[in-house]
Amino acid sequence: MALYRIVSLIAFLICFASLAYHFLRLIRFGVPKDYSVKKGNTAAAIAYSYTGGMNPLKKESAYLHYPTYTAGILYHTGTFVSLVLFFLFLLNTGFSSSVQWALVCVLAVSAASGLGIFIKRTALNKLRYLSNPDDYVSNLLVTLFQLFTLIVLIDGAFAPYYYISASVLFLYLPLGKLKHSIYFFAARYHLGFFYGWRGIWPAGNEERTR
Amino acid sequence: MNNFEEKKNKALKVLSEHEDSKLLTHLNSCVHCGLCAESCMYYLTSNDERYIPAKKVDLVASIYQRYCTFTGKYFPFLGKARELDEAAAEEMTDLLYGACTLCGRCTKHCSIGVDIGFVIKKGRQMLTEMGYTPASLQSTVNAAINSGNNMSIPESELRDTLTWLEEDLRDEVNDPDASIPLNVPNADILYTLNPREPKFFPLSISAMAKIFYAAKESWSLSTQMYDVTNYAYFTSSKSEAVTIAERLYNETVNLNAKRCVLAECGHGSRAFRWEAPNYLQKQFPFETITSVELMAEYISKGRIKLDKSINKEVVTLHDPCNLVREGGVIEPQRYVLKNAASEFVEMTPHGIDNFCCGGGGGQLAMSEYNERRMKTAEIKAEQIRKTGAKVVVTPCHNCVDQLMQIDNKFKLGVQVKTLAEIVADAIILD
Repeated sequence: MALYRIVSLIAFLICFASLAYHFLRLIRFGVPKDYSVKKGNTAAAIAYSYTGGMNPLKKESAYLHYPTYTAGILYHTGTFVSLVLFFLFLLNTGFSSSVQWALVCVLAVSAASGLGIFIKRTALNKLRYLSNPDDYVSNLLVTLFQLFTLIVLIDGAFAPYYYISASVLFLYLPLGKLKHSIYFFAARYHLGFFYGWRGIWPAGNEERTR
Repeated sequence: MNNFEEKKNKALKVLSEHEDSKLLTHLNSCVHCGLCAESCMYYLTSNDERYIPAKKVDLVASIYQRYCTFTGKYFPFLGKARELDEAAAEEMTDLLYGACTLCGRCTKHCSIGVDIGFVIKKGRQMLTEMGYTPASLQSTVNAAINSGNNMSIPESELRDTLTWLEEDLRDEVNDPDASIPLNVPNADILYTLNPREPKFFPLSISAMAKIFYAAKESWSLSTQMYDVTNYAYFTSSKSEAVTIAERLYNETVNLNAKRCVLAECGHGSRAFRWEAPNYLQKQFPFETITSVELMAEYISKGRIKLDKSINKEVVTLHDPCNLVREGGVIEPQRYVLKNAASEFVEMTPHGIDNFCCGGGGGQLAMSEYNERRMKTAEIKAEQIRKTGAKVVVTPCHNCVDQLMQIDNKFKLGVQVKTLAEIVADAIILD
């Protein structure tokens, strides 16, 4: 196995171990203990938090910002596809031409979305004000990873650059905002628990109010 | 160690104390997408980037990063991890106290699910530990701690008010035995008040007394502890919140009431029903419900009869954030209004998407932020205007105050009433 592939695998293992540390710390700190009298169904509300509560029609962050929301969904889809491809590449998995070009198209759209989000962050006063270097670095590293995945699908000669970009991403991931890949799920859990305990969620209790 | 260092250490301790994984989660989850901006009335009415909810989260999270994370300690520039110095504390005070009503609207609409209100309350707790609580808000807490109610109403004044309200009640229901019972043990209900009621809005006490009379309820008020509010919830001072909550708990236990019924007060009902058991770390041996739910119960069980044709004017409803979005009382007030008013129209948006009136989070008590508070009220004024209603009902005395100021400032020409008042007007006595 080429050295750059070994390095990327080690980087991934470091990333995985770091995220596992964050995950285990969350588990160790535990779930809320609430002494008030429960009014709703927390299990149903937590399930709703990951499903219906994510419905774009239910969140202003989605329905008031459809272009950004759509770009975000595409961008995250591209990230998941790239991660799966990373392992398939390590296993030397081959693709038919049609699958290969379908993946290239998906990644082209997702990387363009990532770039669009980056441009938006640099162009809008509001977002520049909110942003810190980590926001830009994270966005760029993920977008580059997607782009190199796309390129290496087309031409294997770029494999060293691809694995270097993957390694950098994996090593950086636990340091900054990208660790929301773990904390996002915890946040949805807590939101579901809170709204569920008080009988606000799930959807049966939530009137469509717009 | 200098004075500020001592304060700083107390504040940082707030960030290192974890009851569960909630604090850790919400301090690490925000991705600075900025999509919460349009859910915040402060941002919507000013376009000021400082008011974006994510910025308020960042004020707390950046300090957490600086002192509690590897990246923040060794690469602080990456996440703009920030020292907790006097400038940071002053900025936090201005934005976490002066530019947030803790309405929770941003949380509900956050793309990730960050409990923004929870993080802001942690920030307020840090500021309280450092002695940065706005003096006006702290004085309200002090009044409650020192006198037993947040308006420092002497017991004699309360008794006088209740005596003439009782006389009025007897006249109104034409029954010389009608009463406002005080300190009666073993009643089914211990009813609470917002001190604004005896001080400024006694008719809402009359209204609830009439409802209890019509329902033939076994109830009592306490002259020792009747204050439903807990302003220490807003300052996030746990010791003071515990003191205030414990008094109402003890009084309910001492009088051996089966139910503690919380007056129409958004934060008061949240603070006692949902937060107090956690402040006191115990389950309560009595039931705690809001008067809103109680009125709905009376109507549904036929214990009171209403003639909604008496309330002829178009009525709209303002949903108090702490009662509805944060408290789960969503439908009972609608059920009551549909039975008590001829024509009820909803605001847009309403329910758990409703906008705060602007008076929440302790804003009404913090006169230093009055101008900002009334600027945010533009949204509520427009919501009300669009309904065409002549009466705005809200089950919260804090909201009543703010809505009356909105009516005055924006010349809406509406009456503002509590739910009990509109129900009492529609009651048909046997």
